[in-house]
Parts: sequence; C-alpha cells; structure tokens
Amino acid sequence: MGRSAIVETSALVKEYGDAVALAGIDFSVDRGLVYGLIGPNGAGKTTLLGVLSGLRTPTSGSVHIDSVHVAVLPDSPAFDPWMTAYEVVDLARRLSPTEVPESFVDDVLEQAGLAEAAQRKVSGFSRGMLQRLGIAATVVGGPDLLLLDEPAAALDPAGRREVLDLVAGIRGRATVLFSSHILDDVQEVCDEIGILRRGELVYDGSLEGLIARLSPQAQYVIEVRGEAAGLAHTLLSHAWVETATARDSVVTVESESRDAAEQHLAAVVGNYGLPVVSITPQTRSLEEIFLEVTA
Amino acid sequence: MNLWRLEWVRLTRTGRVFILLAVFFSFGIIGPLIVRYLPEILDSAGSGEVLDQLPPVTAESAMSSFLGNALQFGLLAIAFVGAAALAIDAKPEISVFFRSRSTIPQILAPRFVINAAAAVFAFAVGVVTAVVASGVLIGWPEARPTIVGSILVALYLVFVVALVAMIGSLVRKVPATALLTVGGLIVLSLVGLLKPLEPWLPSYLVGGFDGVIAGGDFVYWRAVAVTVAAIAVALWIATVRLGHREV
Repeated sequence: MGRSAIVETSALVKEYGDAVALAGIDFSVDRGLVYGLIGPNGAGKTTLLGVLSGLRTPTSGSVHIDSVHVAVLPDSPAFDPWMTAYEVVDLARRLSPTEVPESFVDDVLEQAGLAEAAQRKVSGFSRGMLQRLGIAATVVGGPDLLLLDEPAAALDPAGRREVLDLVAGIRGRATVLFSSHILDDVQEVCDEIGILRRGELVYDGSLEGLIARLSPQAQYVIEVRGEAAGLAHTLLSHAWVETATARDSVVTVESESRDAAEQHLAAVVGNYGLPVVSITPQTRSLEEIFLEVTA
Repeated sequence: MNLWRLEWVRLTRTGRVFILLAVFFSFGIIGPLIVRYLPEILDSAGSGEVLDQLPPVTAESAMSSFLGNALQFGLLAIAFVGAAALAIDAKPEISVFFRSRSTIPQILAPRFVINAAAAVFAFAVGVVTAVVASGVLIGWPEARPTIVGSILVALYLVFVVALVAMIGSLVRKVPATALLTVGGLIVLSLVGLLKPLEPWLPSYLVGGFDGVIAGGDFVYWRAVAVTVAAIAVALWIATVRLGHREV
C-alpha cells in the first residue's frame, strides 16, 4: 500500500522585510514517518515549522496539511506559571479535537517523568521539566501530526533518551516532523531528513541516500597482518582499482565502482596470502556530510 | 480544566480579582466616610472657610464621592488586570500553546467575558458597600436610581475591558496594553469637553451615575447605544488583528 503525504508544500516563501527566511520550499512528508529537519541557526527551521503549524503566514506558495489534529511544541515551551503540570496537560487534553479520557493525563505525565510533579506549579520547573511538560501536553490529545521544534535541546542525556524513545514509539501511529541540531538524534530516529540552508531545502530524502550520495564512491580500508605495500601494488594491477595506498599494515583502496569492489576485492586480498584483519567500506559521518551540505 | 475555568483560576490564583475587590470595596467605605466627616475634620483643623464649597452631606453626595474616587484607581486596576489576560501574545511561547489549539474567538471570549464580569462584580461590591456605608452614616440612597446609575457605569467598565482587548491586539506587552488603555480613556474624556459630542461618548455614562441618583432625567440612550457598538467594534478589531498577527 502506497503512503500518502500528510504535509506538502509548494514554492513556499516567507520573507521578513528584506530577509528571506524560506526561499521556495517544495517538500512532502509521508504519513507515519519521522522526518528530521536539520540546518544551522537561521536556516529557517523554526519559520518552516511555524508556517506548517499555521502560526505564521507564508509570503507566497502553498501548504497542504492532511491532518485531523496537529500538535505543536515550540523550542522553549512556557506556560502560565500559576498552573500546575496536571492542569496544563488537562487543558491540552480538553482542547484536543478528539475525545480523550482524563486518565490519559496521568499516563502522559508518567511517560514524561513528571508524575511526582503533577500537582506542582509550573513556576518552579526547570527548563528540562518545562520541555518534558511541553511534550506531555503535545502528545496527550493523540495528534496524527506532531511538529516539534528542538524537542530535546534542553534535556539532560536521560531526558533526551526519553524523548527519542517517545518519538520512536510514535512512529507508525503519527507523523513526526522535528527540527534538531543534534545530528545523532536525527540519525537515530528519523526515516527521512530535510536539510535547510539559508531558507533553501538543499536535501530531502532518506538519511542512507544522503550518506551514500556524499560518501566516497567505493573506498575501502584493508588491514592485514604484516607489511601492506605489496598488497597495494597487487591491487593497482587490476583495472577496476583506481588508487591504492599503503601505510604499514593498512591499505586504502578506491575502486571505480562499489559493484566492482564487492565482486573482486575480497578475493584479491584473500589470495594475496597475508592474514586479513578487516575490510571496511568507508562512509562519512552525518556531521561531516552536514557541514559539507550546509557550508 | 477548560478555557473558561482557566480565566477564573487566573483571576483568583494570581490574586487579581482581590485587587479589584479591594479597590472598590475600600472606596465604598471611604467615599461616604469622607462626605460624612470631612466638614468636621476641616472645621477642627481651622479650615472652616472652605466648608461652603463642600458638597452637602447627603446620600447622593456619598455615592458620588464613592464613584469619583473608586474609578480613578479602579480603571487603572481593571486595565492592568485585563491586560494580564487579554494581551495574549505578551509571551509568545505561552501564546503558541493556545493559538495552536484554539481559534482566536475561542481564546478571546472567556478572557473578555470573565474579566468584564470581574470588573462589574467588583464595582457592584463597591456600590453595595457604599450604599450600606451611606445608609449607616448619612442616609439611604434611592434604590432604583442607584441601580440604573450602576448599570450605566457597569456598561462603561465592560467597554474599558473591550478597549483593553483591542489595545492588546495592537501592542504585545502587558504594561503597554494597560497604559495605552488608560491613555485612550483620558483622550476620550478630553473629547468629551466638546459639548456636542459629550452625550454620545461612553465616558458620558459615568456622569449618569451621579445624574440619575440625583434625580435627573435619563438622557443616556445615545451614550448607551454608542458604547454597545464600541464594545462590538473593539472586540471585532481585536479578533481580526490577533488573527493576522504572527507569533
């Protein structure tokens, strides 16, 4: 069964005076996916989420949201300080377009690690507690689309882990679109990503696709027991090998294609006669790719 | 918890409703007290020459003294208390919580109604207090004119809260909303110095309190009609402006 887009934008532009925050964004997010929006500060992530949530009006272009219940979490959630955590989540429940039993309030406060603070006033909450309360208020109504702006930015490692688990747990039941600076988080939970740079979407697709696209075509590092110079020389005698350089017991080899390397490399190395420690295809970290794409 | 109960909780838990009650209740006592004892105080202080300029010690003067004093502080209190609720974008992160879950009319309606009701209720408490204080110290004011005059002032207070809502859609911060509202009321009073315009202005209703209680004719229909229309227009402007504002 094919997936349908829950979010779709076309030539989306947002300008603040002379400053262009979004410069013609075309993208779509399929229902049920976790979509990560990454980009440096000022790239337009918050503006894009604001436009998608209806809190900001695009200068031009169109937005189509095929959702019954959109829930929004700003990057620094805040609430009236005289309210208790329970009241905040209960109010969010009551304002949800779908009927949700009151028992859900306790459930989501428990999931957010705020069960013991439920009756405390929000004024005494730390930034991390406010972030978790914001997430509890966001998920209590059972939204089918969640727009989360830096949901884990203010959390300690344990809190960050809880948020990532929560986002991962939602996968399939709701669509999550979240922005983040923490690339490891994106790499861990996102099915697809979009990279924004100065208001432009410079990549939209799967994380694996991006890594494959920007990683070296077919580079492998071979470690053997013994001096590897002879192995490098042998490898260079094959037509499918473009470069092979040795340093001590390690050879770095670049093939004309992955197919060729996968077909011949193991056999050539095995036949050379030295004990093989490892043959490792080279990929680049998301951080390296991010820096290159957003430079 | 819902948006209506939220506004009631906002007023009580922050103590704001008690500020309103305290202002009107205290002037409900002070007003008649001043009228009753000021001549004696001035006489004993040797300022007898000004006694002729003082209002007569009557129930009507007591009620007039209450209103004159109470409104000076009461309007300021109503403007600040109202602005704390009706400046809905004063803190964008809090605003996002409401705006992403409700429409502007859904957010605005309970804030306006509850705050207007609180202002009217506090004023009513002040009127009752002033009537009782006057009855004990001076004499009882007539019931019907007092009720009619109070309704006129209550309508004016509702207009003030609607003005707060409108100003809150033009500026964002609470102090700016409150102070601009007070400024607007002062400008309205100055416009009232133009005699042909005076009977049409909402501020004319305040004078109706004294006028009706003193037994004057009811000449306030024009001001009532304009005030009701002004309330509707102010709320419409607030709704439209807030609907177009980004957070």
